[in-house]
Amino acid sequence: MLFKLAVRNVRRQIGNYLIYFITVSMTVSLLFAVNNIIFSRELSAFSENMELMSEGLTAVTIFISLIVAFVLSYATSFMLRLRKREFGTYLTLGITRRNIVSIFVVETMIICIFALALGMIFGLFIYQGLMAVMMNLLEMEFALSAYSLSGIAFTVVLVICIFIISSLASALYLKKTSINELIHGDRKVERAVKRPAVWFTVTLVFFALFLGSIFACNYFCGIISEGGGAATGFFLTFVVMAVSLVLFHIGLSKSIVYILMKNKRLCVRGGNIFVLRQLSGTLSSSSVMIGFLAFLLLFSVVLSNISFAERALLKTSLERNVPYDIMYSADTGSEYAIPEDQAENIIEKYVKILDKKPYGLYTSGRSDFYGQTRYSGEGYEDTTDVFMPLSEFNLLCESLDCEPLTLDNEFFIIANIPEIQNCNMQDVIFEWNGKEYGYKGLSMQYPMFSYTFFYVVVPDEAVTGMEKVIDCIAYDAENGSFDASALREELSYDYITSDGYQSTACDYRIREYSRQYQNAQSAVLVVGALFVSAIFLLMAMAILALKTLSGLADDKKRYLVLYRLGMGSGEQSRTLFKQTFTFFIMPFAVAVLSSIPTAIITNNIVSTVGMDSLASRIYTIAAVIAAVFVIVYLLYYLATYLIAKRTVIYRNY
Amino acid sequence: MNEILDIRNVTKYYGSGSVVTKALDSISFSVEKGSFTAIMGASGSGKSTLLNVISTIDRVSAGEIMINGMFLNDLNEDELSAFRRDQLGFIFQEYNLLDTLTVEENITLPLNLKRVGLTETQRELKRVSEALGVGDQLKKFPYELSGGQRQRAACARAIITNPALVLADEPTGALDSKNSKALMQTFIMMNRSLGSTILMVTHDPVVGSYADRVLFLKDGRIWSELYRGERERREMYREIMTVSSALGGDNLAGNGGDGDAV
Ligand SMILES: Nc1ncnc2c1ncn2[C@@H]1O[C@H](COP(=O)(O)OP(=O)(O)O)[C@@H](O)[C@H]1O
Ligand SMILES: [Mg+2]
Repeated sequence: MLFKLAVRNVRRQIGNYLIYFITVSMTVSLLFAVNNIIFSRELSAFSENMELMSEGLTAVTIFISLIVAFVLSYATSFMLRLRKREFGTYLTLGITRRNIVSIFVVETMIICIFALALGMIFGLFIYQGLMAVMMNLLEMEFALSAYSLSGIAFTVVLVICIFIISSLASALYLKKTSINELIHGDRKVERAVKRPAVWFTVTLVFFALFLGSIFACNYFCGIISEGGGAATGFFLTFVVMAVSLVLFHIGLSKSIVYILMKNKRLCVRGGNIFVLRQLSGTLSSSSVMIGFLAFLLLFSVVLSNISFAERALLKTSLERNVPYDIMYSADTGSEYAIPEDQAENIIEKYVKILDKKPYGLYTSGRSDFYGQTRYSGEGYEDTTDVFMPLSEFNLLCESLDCEPLTLDNEFFIIANIPEIQNCNMQDVIFEWNGKEYGYKGLSMQYPMFSYTFFYVVVPDEAVTGMEKVIDCIAYDAENGSFDASALREELSYDYITSDGYQSTACDYRIREYSRQYQNAQSAVLVVGALFVSAIFLLMAMAILALKTLSGLADDKKRYLVLYRLGMGSGEQSRTLFKQTFTFFIMPFAVAVLSSIPTAIITNNIVSTVGMDSLASRIYTIAAVIAAVFVIVYLLYYLATYLIAKRTVIYRNY
Repeated sequence: MNEILDIRNVTKYYGSGSVVTKALDSISFSVEKGSFTAIMGASGSGKSTLLNVISTIDRVSAGEIMINGMFLNDLNEDELSAFRRDQLGFIFQEYNLLDTLTVEENITLPLNLKRVGLTETQRELKRVSEALGVGDQLKKFPYELSGGQRQRAACARAIITNPALVLADEPTGALDSKNSKALMQTFIMMNRSLGSTILMVTHDPVVGSYADRVLFLKDGRIWSELYRGERERREMYREIMTVSSALGGDNLAGNGGDGDAV
């Protein structure tokens, strides 16, 4: 009997449940897709790095599932409110509270089963899509990927947990609400806000603080990208930013209507006062929720921006950090070094060597240049300047399309870390073999040929008499992918550290290896960020939609009054639009607009690190992310508006 | 003649196919400017339907309705909305006032819809709120008012635009008899002092006895008609009771059965 009743209810309420249902289905399909990635055989076969990735993603899905459960139970309370009259009537008809709870649980279960089924079907496609993104990030050939049983099972388990948690929350709500409240709940008019002026001050103060935290964030990002330590400052800034964002939204929700109502001329125009009064109740009672949603949305925007920017950054930095396919670099006369011809034989097993360029780094044994940096004096007695002869440097540049240097009794500093740019290298007059060399310039834009903080390029004759400290060889190899992990493994050796521990090292930097490693890392970040942002966005939109729809029963009566008073259906639509759109835009606007400062800050970081070429891509990424957010937002808004319009707007013809 | 409302052969069917209810059956009557007319009848006799077609919330199936010289059949939906806004005032049994708006905002809402400016709105608000004695309640919300006060506020809202016709559907339906009588005094005042033309639906003979003229509906037709003329209200009440028992209406003798209560 109860089951039948519940089935009938779900069928009758299908319009109200639609948004809830779609959101749950989409969430399930995203969970399904990500879980399948976690257990994907294709990816785990790809490299051992994937293990780390799977663990990371598992943690993310569990965390996300908890958030989803929390949000859905909150959304469920709206669904309950939507039907409190119906439940109230059951109660007066003698159906017990326990019966009602079971009706509700059965209903939610029906929805969840359907959502699970539909979500998994959608998930089949989303998984292939995400895998395509993944494969692309990992530079693998795209092929339809197999589904994993464990992935499916894990999804089912997560969804059941989400269902149980949110049902428990709804059951608690029903248990706590009295019969009277259920039946007459909508008679209670939402109380007016006390001290709107105070809230308005809160709004202004925290908005200023929010803006301030953006600037502070930019400042600390600058310090960090220049290699300085600002972790605490950065963390504090982020906390201030989050708190001020939330409080700004709470304050705004509680005060905006009162500020607007001060304008009497605005109020007497058409249905404006009606809209304002409608909003004052909804906004002030949902102010905390609005603050929370704004935070979720901002988090999603920032996260997706950072993930894509990081990916772009990694790609560009690889070209810089490992400019040649394989780069050998070891202390001259190292006892562990693998002999050159032996190493080349190993390399040839994996990839054909096309060209090799040996070069070296020399030291003067002095610290004329290091003396200008903070790496001098006590504790840095062993740190001496490093030089590279001009001819070798230009030879390395030649095949990389870098501008060669010309020096005329001058030296040129190649910096590998940003802070060297701030040292007074131009004051140095380098004297060697009785000749003086003056400052020509300093650049961070050259690829890394050496892994010292910086080195000095000097005319060839200047290195005579210097001690060669580092032997280097740059290899050009044939293009194409190869098993870089295995090659690196073969080129590694065990050694005993100065404190007596055994360790493994490799004197060869293999570009392919770095690339694969970075790809795995950024694939996790990008897919994880996409996943988290998508879920947060869905949750936020679903809450806004459901909250709006839960008030429709009451709104219907109000719009009937407006209709009788002579408000035509066109003006009713406009009124409804103002009412619902303002509510929807509240948590959304600042969060999405924040993609502008996010892009600017990311861009600043990128250019500090010396990769100005990325700038336009970062802005494109930010614009695309913002566009996706706006589209999802508009879809949800449109669905809500159309449902609301159908329910609320009165017309007789 | 100075007719505000003229109804000719109005018929209204509900439903379609095999189950059709004839809620109004070829009704004709007219209402003069400045009159106070009551429509009475048992529950289901078609009173609300009649009021709904007059108030343009429902369309007629056949016949014509003319209000203030305009034929409703000729108007499209937007014109009908504008017509309701400019020519009609409404008072219903309940949920008259918007619960989210203050009394003042409720009363001035029709002027807002007409895009009347701030100063004139304030002037009109002062006029009607003083006339109806709700001046002290303007800043309150409807839930802070008693049922009688709420209906008076609804009256103020109904007449603030100086409508050609004020329509009231069971305005005392949610009130006790003391408040019902007070509200009828208010209606009389609106009718006599403010010149409002009122058409009111009720099933309560006591309430009906305040009107100048009573139309009796039965099964969607006008069954009988009473004019007060020079008679006392008590006498009117007795006449209404007589017609009602002849009508055989079940609800009609409702709460006014005791002659002393009148
Ligand atoms: N929207 C409707 N749909 C179908 N039938 C209706 C509708 N409204 C009223 N009726 C029918 O029309 C008749 C008159 O109803 P109504 O005008 O509400 O009566 P009263 O207000 O006098 O009680 C009744 O038989 C009622 O069932
Ligand atoms: Mg009725």
